[in-house]
Amino acid sequence: MPNLQQRSILNRLFEAPAIGKMAPGTALFVYGLLLVWSLVVLFPLYWVLITSVKSAVDVNSGPVYLPWIDFQPSLHAWRELLVIDYEDTLRSYINSIIIALLSTLLCIIVGSMAAYALARISYKPKFGNILIFVLAMIAGCYTVWKYGVDWKISIAVAVAIWFFLVKSIGRYFTRSVGNGDILFWMISQRILPPIVTVVPIYMMFQNLRMLDTHLALILTYTVVNLPIVIWLMYDFMNSIPIELEESAQLDGASRFRTFWEIVLPLAKPGLAATTLLILILAWNEYILAVFLSTSKAQTIPILVSAMNAGERGILWWSMCVVIVIMIIPVVFMAILLQRFISKGVLLGAVKG
Amino acid sequence: MTNPPRSRSARFSEWLDQQSSTLFITPAVLLILIFSIFPLVASLIIAFSRFRLRAGSYQVRWVGFRNFEKQFFGSEQFHFLGTFKGMSLFGWVVAIAVGIALIYWLYRYCRRQFWWLGFIGRIISALMFFGLALLFCATLLSGHQFGTLGVTLFYVFAGCSTQFAIGLGLALLCAQPIHGRTFFRVIFFIPLMITPIGIGYAFRMLADTSKGPFSPLWQWFGLGDFSWSTDPWAARVFIVIGDSWQWIPFVFIILLAAIENIPKDHQEAAQVDGASGWQIFREITWPQLLPVAATVMLIRLIEAFKLVDLPNIMTAGGPGIATESMSLHSYFAWRSLDLGQSAAIAYLLLFVTVVLCVSFFNYVVIGRLRNNPT
Amino acid sequence: MRLNKNPLTALIGATALAASAASTPLHAAEFDGIEINILTRPGPVIAQRLVDRGEEFTEMTGAKIRVNEVPFAELFQKILTDWATGTNSIDVGVFASGWAVELADGDLIEDLTPYVEADEKLQFDDIAPFFREFNQKIGGKTKLITIDGDFQMLYYRRDIFDEMGLKPPRNWAEYMEAAKATHGKDLNGDGEADYGSCIFKKRNAQSYFAIMSVAAAFSQTQGTGQGFFFDTETMKPLINNEAWIEALNVYKATGEFGPPDELNQDIGDTRALVQSGRCALAIDWGDIGPLSIDESGAAIKDKMGATPMPGTSRVLDRETGKLVDCDAERCPHAIDGINISPFAAFGGWSGAINKKADDDVKKAAYAFLSYMNQPEQSNVDVTMGWTGYNPYRNSQLDNPDLWIEAGFSPEFADNYLGAIKDSLNNPNMASDLRIPGTAQYQGVVLDRELARFLADEITAAEAVANIEEGWEEITEDFGRDSQKSMYKASLGITN
Repeated sequence: MPNLQQRSILNRLFEAPAIGKMAPGTALFVYGLLLVWSLVVLFPLYWVLITSVKSAVDVNSGPVYLPWIDFQPSLHAWRELLVIDYEDTLRSYINSIIIALLSTLLCIIVGSMAAYALARISYKPKFGNILIFVLAMIAGCYTVWKYGVDWKISIAVAVAIWFFLVKSIGRYFTRSVGNGDILFWMISQRILPPIVTVVPIYMMFQNLRMLDTHLALILTYTVVNLPIVIWLMYDFMNSIPIELEESAQLDGASRFRTFWEIVLPLAKPGLAATTLLILILAWNEYILAVFLSTSKAQTIPILVSAMNAGERGILWWSMCVVIVIMIIPVVFMAILLQRFISKGVLLGAVKG
Repeated sequence: MTNPPRSRSARFSEWLDQQSSTLFITPAVLLILIFSIFPLVASLIIAFSRFRLRAGSYQVRWVGFRNFEKQFFGSEQFHFLGTFKGMSLFGWVVAIAVGIALIYWLYRYCRRQFWWLGFIGRIISALMFFGLALLFCATLLSGHQFGTLGVTLFYVFAGCSTQFAIGLGLALLCAQPIHGRTFFRVIFFIPLMITPIGIGYAFRMLADTSKGPFSPLWQWFGLGDFSWSTDPWAARVFIVIGDSWQWIPFVFIILLAAIENIPKDHQEAAQVDGASGWQIFREITWPQLLPVAATVMLIRLIEAFKLVDLPNIMTAGGPGIATESMSLHSYFAWRSLDLGQSAAIAYLLLFVTVVLCVSFFNYVVIGRLRNNPT
Repeated sequence: MRLNKNPLTALIGATALAASAASTPLHAAEFDGIEINILTRPGPVIAQRLVDRGEEFTEMTGAKIRVNEVPFAELFQKILTDWATGTNSIDVGVFASGWAVELADGDLIEDLTPYVEADEKLQFDDIAPFFREFNQKIGGKTKLITIDGDFQMLYYRRDIFDEMGLKPPRNWAEYMEAAKATHGKDLNGDGEADYGSCIFKKRNAQSYFAIMSVAAAFSQTQGTGQGFFFDTETMKPLINNEAWIEALNVYKATGEFGPPDELNQDIGDTRALVQSGRCALAIDWGDIGPLSIDESGAAIKDKMGATPMPGTSRVLDRETGKLVDCDAERCPHAIDGINISPFAAFGGWSGAINKKADDDVKKAAYAFLSYMNQPEQSNVDVTMGWTGYNPYRNSQLDNPDLWIEAGFSPEFADNYLGAIKDSLNNPNMASDLRIPGTAQYQGVVLDRELARFLADEITAAEAVANIEEGWEEITEDFGRDSQKSMYKASLGITN
């Protein structure tokens, strides 16, 4: 039958010769799609890269695609940013590096400590105590707002009242919240759109005379990214066998030492993956930087938007230079952290 | 502790160890209290007031619900909700259908299991869905313009579903026995590393129909005079494309890890039994993938509501208000120093986000997990 | 902890002392060791010249100039919050002169009158009257130093117009005709069809300046003091009337002969088009002139012509809100029956000094602003297109040689300066809005409604009604009476 032969060709093309191998037809299809997507990913990058060596005329007079073939590349934008005006570029760049690195570091330390604690220690804060705390704080804010009491005094008084009430009537409360609730509370902070909190944060830093300082941005980024760290690290901590810690504790090691010497090394892959993610988020952040920095702490994403020079149009070439130099350190970090990130690392976290 | 005579430092370290359970979690709690909870409360106060900067200080004047009222009924209604000019028949039909479906859903819940907290939660969700459905019926389905709320929801749903579909597809492709998997994985990961503003500008260049790289193509299609940025839907779609380009890698990398983690033996057994690729995916891969997929989508959902950089850069919210998301709406209000309105919009955004994310988590994720115990 | 802290602070203090001692230079110039933080918008325009001149200034006086840049749309609120909240990380703001009113209202900017009086090099009287008496002053006191004179003009391609036998348009009907005639022609010889009219229309950019430029001629007839934003008696917006509806329609209609993505084009985008020779007509600030002799403007060198903004023979009757024909009484300043009203859009970039800055810094900051403004520097700067500075001194306007030296052809220098002088000397010049909340009136409400109108979301009538409602809300918010007196003061009405 002629049909049979046709089918056998089809078979050979689309049926796997062996388990774990692909038929040539399927392979062609798969590689084809992967290549197409690689192009989708790489083309915008290529465009950014070649735009950075174009002159204004090349950009404005219609598309040119290939350096040396349909236009003459020039390094004028690179020279302008890295040689002539290197001070501004360097300042933003260093600001960004300081802010991204320190906030990531702080975020990872605080976050993994909290994640470890939530995974290992059982917390049972009384429901009533929390309620009193909230009420005390509301009362404190109200007095500041309504009667103009100094906020430091009012907060101190509120905390003192809370402390006193907890010590005296705290034991009568019976309902308490568990680790799961605390975890949920912390993670749910990520839902907050930055726009909700940024105005009060702005006023707070202004009150502390901390606007336009590195510390303000570092702290803010830390808190914004903290929920992610806790979320991801909680599951890593959970997946670490508890026996090692127990034996360490039997040997008399304190919890801090256990955490530092046993848990953290074991959580390295997870730490690496989380660090990379947080670093990327902190490095690329724009909205909060716009709010909280004016000049001294200006970060590099603001430099990108600063290349939109209004009346002279967008300085595409310079902007592309900034985008390119922004990608480089992230790729570098990714390669550096790559070896710690084994497959399935992010998975454990997300599964929870 | 080998020193019998306890030194001060030893006593201190012991005390430290005793307090360790508190010390481990306090920094995180304090940071969140100061930088998340306090601003949240303060922002609520601002949302109910008129806020003006004066020399050396600011004035806060209590105005009650005026900032919110303005969004729903007042001069900002068209901006936030959309333009209402009567509803078309089609709109009515859809709205009523949605209403009936929601009532049935509540009814079914009451019949099957009933818990007062769950019921209240479902009432809130149902009202919200009905409100949103009504909004879409009165604007989109009746041929009128919708406001930033509708635009935000469009970004969230169009963006998340595109990202999920393509991300999953790529993960499945990469999970095939191919050469150079690491290469593709690294390449596909790159967009996530680029700052959203950079992506906004890069896509603005790419999408330019007269000077961009695809302009010959546009011209060839006879669309040389067309501009995506002047057509509301084209502009919205372009923003979703930019957003997706950035976030597909995130979905991809996690789903790929999940797929690789699924034991191969089931699949291979099924392959031996002659199951088709689709069957294997539906019966074996998908159920195991589901929990991860749901969580990834939850993360994306949360982040998608905050979209602000891309529309700001690609179109600055234009044409008209067609591409303005709620975050951007609030940001513009802040920029003109109308802080009360800015906070009010931000709170509305928070409310929508919380209800939708919690609904998604409770009814979709948990429901699915229960149906497919893995 | 306390024990720990003290040595640490001591150490930091010691280091700081050592560092400051080390950095003190040996020679002592006038402002040694002073750092002046300037905030302005980014890019080579405006900011770059401050940087260059800043370096010269540092060499002369020792004061270090640091120019910080934030995106244009964030500039005003950054300065206001920085100064109002007492953060004071900025000493000098360089921004639109109109914005200063709100700062002056909060008593945040230094009164420069005593400085100016003691400054001979400034040649105060050489500054053109509109800028000297109007732009730099608030309530009769000089509070700003202009470094750029701004108002919008109409530019046309002289070569094309001559070739086709067209006259520079004097009213909008002529404008549309010319745009129609030139649209689709190849204007720069690259074989592609070009555009008849390029007017920026992007949202959240500067398009609202263009619409005001169009509207001014329709609604203001009696001279600068009349104003065209509000009724000076009731502070009711003069928006919901046929003049603005007509202006909106005209503005939108020009889009028919414009580039396809005009709605997403800011002034920079249209300017780039003009420079590459793709526009027959364009509305812009004074920059096009110097830009046409710039290297980047090779395609339009000696091909541009400038003329005041088009006018109209039908103007607003404020009683009825209707458009009526011009007559001698109604349009005293009309030329050939056409009322024109050149709009001082933006008012020009000017520098203001933070009142809370240290006295030394203030002195140094004033010296620097004065240095920028002095004819010796500014007469060079305004002839260079890339600086973004436009002429504002008599010595610049009356002196074509300056421009010819910079590379203008004699005809174009005459034509360009003539258009500027015609505009500046027009008694009916329209002033930009200069009251608290300007950013909200224009940048939010007007801009948004304009964008919605251009995007076909609403009709012109709806747009003006919405603008009126939005403006009334803002006025109520700031207080009607105080707004009214501010508005009157900004127009020079004193009673």
